Amino acid sequence: MQGISSRDVKAQQRPVPSGKPFHAQFTDVAKQAGLIAPTIYGGIDQKKYIVEANGCGCAFIDYDNDGWMDIFLLSGTRLEGAPPGATNRLYKNNRDGTFTDVTEKAGLTAVGWANGVCVGDYNNDGFDDLFVTYFGQNRLYRNNSDGTFTDVTKDAGLLESGPARWGAGCAWVDYNRDGHLDLFVSNYIRFSFEHAPVPGASSTCNWKGIPVNCGPRGLPAGRHLLYRNNGDGTFTDVTKESGIAAATESYGMTVVAADFDEDGWPDIFVACDSTPSLLFMNNHDGTFREEGVVRGVALSDDGMEQAGMGVGIGDYNLDGHLDLFKTHFIGDTCGLYRNDGKGSFDEMTRAAKVGVETSFTSWGAGMVDLDNDGYPDILFVTGSVYPEVEKKLPQYPYKTPRVLFRNLGNGTFEELETQGGSGITTPHSSRGCAFGDFDNDGDLDVLIVNMNEPPSLLRNDLNPMRNWIKFKLEGVKSNRSAIGARVLVHFGGKVQAQAVVSQSSYYSCNDPRLHFGIGEAKEVDVDVFWPNGLHEVFRKLSANRLVTIRETVGVIPSKGWKS
Amino acid sequence: MHFFRKLARLAVLTILASSLYAQTAANQAEPIVTALSQQDYGRALLLLAPALKQAPGNAGLWTMQGAALAGQGRKQEAFVAFRHAIQLAPDDIPALQGAAQIAYDTGDPAGIPVLEQLLKLRPGDVTSHGMLAVLQYQQGRCADAVVHFEKASALFATRAPALDAYGTCLVRVKQLDKAAEVFAQSLALQPDAPRARLVTASVQLIAHQPETALATLDPLLGQHADASSLELASAAYESMHDTDKAVDALRQAILLDPHNVNLYVDLAVLSSTHQSFQVGIDAVNDGIHLLPNAAALYFARGVLYVQTAQYDRAQADFDKAYQLDPNQSLSVAALGLATVQQNDLKRALADVREKLARRPRDPILLYLEADILTQQGAEPGSHDFEAAMRSAKEAVALRPSLEPAHSVLAKLYLQAGQFAEAATQCRKALEIDPKDQTAVYHLIQALRKTDKKDEIPALLKRLAQLREDATKEEREQYRYKLVEGDSASK
Repeated sequence: MQGISSRDVKAQQRPVPSGKPFHAQFTDVAKQAGLIAPTIYGGIDQKKYIVEANGCGCAFIDYDNDGWMDIFLLSGTRLEGAPPGATNRLYKNNRDGTFTDVTEKAGLTAVGWANGVCVGDYNNDGFDDLFVTYFGQNRLYRNNSDGTFTDVTKDAGLLESGPARWGAGCAWVDYNRDGHLDLFVSNYIRFSFEHAPVPGASSTCNWKGIPVNCGPRGLPAGRHLLYRNNGDGTFTDVTKESGIAAATESYGMTVVAADFDEDGWPDIFVACDSTPSLLFMNNHDGTFREEGVVRGVALSDDGMEQAGMGVGIGDYNLDGHLDLFKTHFIGDTCGLYRNDGKGSFDEMTRAAKVGVETSFTSWGAGMVDLDNDGYPDILFVTGSVYPEVEKKLPQYPYKTPRVLFRNLGNGTFEELETQGGSGITTPHSSRGCAFGDFDNDGDLDVLIVNMNEPPSLLRNDLNPMRNWIKFKLEGVKSNRSAIGARVLVHFGGKVQAQAVVSQSSYYSCNDPRLHFGIGEAKEVDVDVFWPNGLHEVFRKLSANRLVTIRETVGVIPSKGWKS
Repeated sequence: MHFFRKLARLAVLTILASSLYAQTAANQAEPIVTALSQQDYGRALLLLAPALKQAPGNAGLWTMQGAALAGQGRKQEAFVAFRHAIQLAPDDIPALQGAAQIAYDTGDPAGIPVLEQLLKLRPGDVTSHGMLAVLQYQQGRCADAVVHFEKASALFATRAPALDAYGTCLVRVKQLDKAAEVFAQSLALQPDAPRARLVTASVQLIAHQPETALATLDPLLGQHADASSLELASAAYESMHDTDKAVDALRQAILLDPHNVNLYVDLAVLSSTHQSFQVGIDAVNDGIHLLPNAAALYFARGVLYVQTAQYDRAQADFDKAYQLDPNQSLSVAALGLATVQQNDLKRALADVREKLARRPRDPILLYLEADILTQQGAEPGSHDFEAAMRSAKEAVALRPSLEPAHSVLAKLYLQAGQFAEAATQCRKALEIDPKDQTAVYHLIQALRKTDKKDEIPALLKRLAQLREDATKEEREQYRYKLVEGDSASK
């Protein structure tokens, strides 16, 4: 028994390379973009406690509604106290490939062990707000519509009492379809520095015979929370009456809320570390039932617990249903789960050839179309949690490369170890990552949190370019951010599903504009399933543009787009 | 089991004297019964010859013929005579008893249906229950035998061999608490028999009664303790989470019997359990120094090397173990394990197939082949998938008790969409190992694909309980970490 579940499974044999060129190339442009502040997170050479090890997420957020993605990066601190510059950071997009640090001006300077972020317009004022989870008190930042934010945690009724919680994942979700975003928060472990065991103290504090930080196994698991939005800027804890409290205790991490069974009501998936992951199915009456095991997403295909950390959501096989991809610990495959459209999943990891990779501890992930060929690819970031191991066992380095799987369009993937460019191959100890088009050039870039290093901003230089289309949804009766909306894009005889979510990857939030590569197709038809249940259809929308759709109104002008 | 013979013989003669008389013409039967009661079997046979010629369909005469032949020790002929009588009169109790007695004396399973028939007629017959229990035990039919042992328990209370047979059957059918009770009863009859004490303590350990096992072993653990007793005591201490004493006992056992391979292996396992791999490696090194040709020691050290990521050394040890004992399937399994730990399934498969070429009907090798092919992601319809399916099927056919093979076969059936077959294999796996989480999970997944979903809620609860138990067990197991140069420390 070690601190984190790993099945020590064997990587499946790599198929013969397809030989097909991959046209997306990723270059880390963080430095020239001005993202130079390191993400402080615990010790550099040694992690005494697990609090230092798991790191944090990041977000693409257009906080000033100018149509350009800004960047919000979380931060931790150090056991001995925060060094100068240790804070979450907000960077404004200068629309020229660079960013300006506006943290202080925006009122977002904050020191602590931040973990997850979810972005959503909880007060429906047209400006996206931020919720940040912490080991300690979580924080709700209201966007004041003027470039600043106010910490309204207390006024919103989200102050916690009792021992410090370890807030982990979070998701805005309008679970009761009243048009106001409610809030789900996963908790990781119940932790206190006073009582925490130290490296080597027990079996859960050793890895490969080397003393390391303890947990999560051996430490008490967290309980997850659901807050109902009262529609007046305040929230009510409905964890118990909603049935969330009845779920088994688990080390909750990333949260993804979406309508997995396509009944028009949002469900909630929680990736859990070393315990069964949870899938809360919406009962349409304000309550949920947890069905992760029976629906095939809680455990490995052998029924074993896995170290669920990050989650990608997308439609890899173009059947119009939302599939899941979950990242795990070194020595285990990541998991690919195919949705049958009724919210039942089959694990396809090996069938899809994703099981060829077991070498890395994996975190943030996306199931996104990186080369605009119409088939969602998979990219995830990696990094060890034990920096001290590398000195004794060099085969287990702390910094490891990113992993890129290209979708071959036949239900299988091909790992591209070198073809994605230096942004993929350069090793870092990464955690959260967010996918979005920061330079509005029609392909998806990647923002990545690196432990005790500046972030990476992987610019995608797709050449030759293929066709694409993006959708920005604005709710009217539904919540303004349209979180929970499901979109089906029909192109070239194919169909692809995506959903608007406020968190995925690892504790992170992607660009809310849904990006569809459509290959050679010139136009698309679109089904929009709004969070409140309305189904709208739009036909013959031309490619290579951002389409903004307002609920019941239709297509409206887009902001910030060159063309 | 001599007491059965006496009881049965008395019963036969008594009944002969009464019931046969009624069946046979009085003038014919009387001198024969007299001869039989006087144990003058030669005369009885002489009288029976003309009588049987005159009335060949008379079951009573055939029964007397059987009794006379049995009296002369001509058991085979006697059995034939009794069987003939039973054919003529299936409910002929004396004939049934006579046949049963002979079958019991010779350990002939043909006695089982005879005794079953007898018990239909006389369900409360303790002697018949006892004879049937023993015959079924001898045939390995413990599930049937325990019922009759229980009904004949009054006969066994003072008979250690019968109690041992009963206890053995209870262990086989996994009624462990009752088995421990029966063996303790047997031990009470022979308190000075060290072997009986060791066996009783072993069963108590298997029944998760370590405190009782230690109490049983206590008389053997004084100054003159032997290695076997100390080895068992070590297991008991470990079950009681007293790892200090477990290690001390094992080390003492090694000092007493330094050439006992099992003791080093036990210490290696204990070290591994507590993630004190180097301590285990050092202990096994000592063993290898004394016993350089013990394959099991290289195997044990190889496993420890795997756990410390020293794959080259592990591979060398597994190679050595295989070289020393090519018939040891376990080292082959470990060889595969070491290879796959290095993410080299291709090499693992080649290793296993090389061994299979020499031993094509080795169930473990067949299972390993199926397992590796499955892990390689063999797709339904592919050549590899078919090979995996074939090997898994053959493995379970060759060794139905090989639980992991049932598990792999279930997984293959699941992948192939043969959900009913998958469920069947899961159930077989669970019969062998009720704690197999994978089998429970696969059963849930198989059932969810069929219309038989009623069972799922109970299975979900069972899976949750198994997970909880496993976590608890692991936590307890790993509570201690052994330290070099010290017996143990928390």
